[in-house]
Amino acid sequence: MSEVKSYRKPYNPPVEATWWTKNPFYTKYILREGTCLCALFVAFELLLGIFLFAMCDLDVEVATAESAAPYMWWVNSFIGNPIVILINLVCLGATLFHASTWFLLMPKAVRVFMNKNTTDLVPETFTVIALYSALGGATVVILIAAFASLP
Amino acid sequence: MHSPRSDEPIYWLLFGAGGMVVGIVLPSVILVLLAAGISSPDVASGLLSFEHVKSMLGNWLVALCIFGVIALTAWHAFHRIFHTLHDLTVPPSKLFWFALYGGAAAMTFICLALQFLIYCKLW
Repeated sequence: MSEVKSYRKPYNPPVEATWWTKNPFYTKYILREGTCLCALFVAFELLLGIFLFAMCDLDVEVATAESAAPYMWWVNSFIGNPIVILINLVCLGATLFHASTWFLLMPKAVRVFMNKNTTDLVPETFTVIALYSALGGATVVILIAAFASLP
Repeated sequence: MHSPRSDEPIYWLLFGAGGMVVGIVLPSVILVLLAAGISSPDVASGLLSFEHVKSMLGNWLVALCIFGVIALTAWHAFHRIFHTLHDLTVPPSKLFWFALYGGAAAMTFICLALQFLIYCKLW
């Protein structure tokens, strides 16, 4: 930090909190940023499930409805609540919107060269297609793992 | 004296990793949650039934993956909230910084502690 007193008087133009509603491009930007609230809801939802699972009696040999009561409330009354199902559907749409924007900006944020001898970059569509196939592959793997491990 | 080097890369790395997780992994996790919510499983059988989750959290690899999803999603979301608050004309302050990044750190360590507790009990 400089010890010299600054006589600078910057002009800060006033900005309204609703500036982003006046231009559809900015509205889309704030919507994209807003998808993080949906992601946060899902993270809280999962953490609540793990917390309530930890609250169950895990020492009994065969789990009963009584010993597993906290977790069963989560899976039947919380996840199964029509309002939570509706919020989850909104979150699904939000994460997919986030995915589409994230995949499109990824080739602009990360520059991948074709090889060491050129300055040619890997085509943007290649990176985007690779990310979409990663989304598809992860979906298939997780759904198969979830349904194949059914007790 | 305060170091001139920024600590932002650490949080940006967590934010970027979280963005990948939210884009690639979270849609299918929400699909599983929706399917479990509609099918309403009981203790021993069904999607996300007690025994199903017991076998998941008792497996260290699956438990580690679930921990990664929750922690990175939290870091992603809180980082974005902190920077979007600035866009919504709320000036960034030390208080918000500690509240939001502290929230992400709290979620990470609570998740880690709970899963470690469950894993030790099931083992």
